Amino acid sequence: MRDPYEVLGVARAATPDDVRKAYRRLAKKLHPDLNPGDKQAEARFKDVTAANDLLSDPDKRQKFDSGEIDASGAERPRQQYYKDFASGGAGAGSPYENSSGFADFGDGEDLFAELFRRQAGQTRRTRGADLHYRLAISFLDAVNGATQRLTLPDGGSLDVTIPAGIQEGQTLRLRDKGAPARGEGEPGDALVAISINPHRFFVREGDDIHIELPITLSEAVLGARVKTPTPTGAVMLTVPKGSNTGAILRLKGKGVARRGGHGDELVKLRVMLPSEPNAELEAFLSTWSTASSDDPRKDMVS
Amino acid sequence: MIFTTVDFLARARVDRETLEIWIEEEWLVPSETTPERAFTEADLARAQLIRDLMDDLGVNAEGVGVVLNLVDQVHGLRNVLAEVLTSARERR
Repeated sequence: MRDPYEVLGVARAATPDDVRKAYRRLAKKLHPDLNPGDKQAEARFKDVTAANDLLSDPDKRQKFDSGEIDASGAERPRQQYYKDFASGGAGAGSPYENSSGFADFGDGEDLFAELFRRQAGQTRRTRGADLHYRLAISFLDAVNGATQRLTLPDGGSLDVTIPAGIQEGQTLRLRDKGAPARGEGEPGDALVAISINPHRFFVREGDDIHIELPITLSEAVLGARVKTPTPTGAVMLTVPKGSNTGAILRLKGKGVARRGGHGDELVKLRVMLPSEPNAELEAFLSTWSTASSDDPRKDMVS
Repeated sequence: MIFTTVDFLARARVDRETLEIWIEEEWLVPSETTPERAFTEADLARAQLIRDLMDDLGVNAEGVGVVLNLVDQVHGLRNVLAEVLTSARERR
């Protein structure tokens, strides 16, 4: 290696400040990342750094001056430079790539303009991250649709529009509501996983809704119009004469919204005796003559 | 190679607070993956460049942003020029 004083261009009597200034002046000119295409600059920068390492350390400088050590071996092994990652395709898709220096060349119509446009389009387009959330909604909101406000961990909030008929585990994607991109890319999306809380008496199967509806003995025997809950409010349901427990009545179109219409609500009847013992009913049944001829268990008894 | 924040701090020899400022200034743009940021070797080399600029070349904080922006433009230009040259040679 050459004489470090010569490399830095300072006199033997140079003060530490002179050395520092000389090093800075050369480093600014020769730093490989400021001269990405200049191999010579890189080699010279290595010499300059080595010279500076030697002369900026009073101990080493004194030893060198007295001839105890020479300038060899003082080179500092250097990690790779940034340019090694940014050029020659290695920087493609990097968040640092910047097309501001040539984007205007893409305005024309020729093949090169097309090339510039394509390159410009690739740069700084790293999207922000998608953020994942969970939202538990009520059964009726899932069936009818709703807008729910989701409170975010950072204190912000997000209005989530729930489409009618959403299913358990479905994920809603809210465009651009995720993390902002660093650089100039699009923000990410918010992904909201929906869970549906069960309902007290509605149960969903596909697009149909099932409900078990208690009716009185007289409603079952004589038939009646009874008020029946549906997700959109109560309706009057006609229970035919002689309806038994387990009979299923269909309310058309009262189920969950689906493409081109709605599912149905299926009402399963359950005949309920009076909750208190009823003397009148007991008296009546004891005189009911046909009761003894009816055996609902006849299929079970061998 | 991908580094975690702790790894990156040790290798780049910066403290956490400084790193946050660099990220805030968009001098460094690690990918914001969960649960932790991920740094690439390019991020590491860039951190080394920032340190060179500030420690060795006497560039102040305002200057670093300007330098990095221009360095990024130079690389953008170098890459597009390389692309243009390749395409021109293929056409010949």
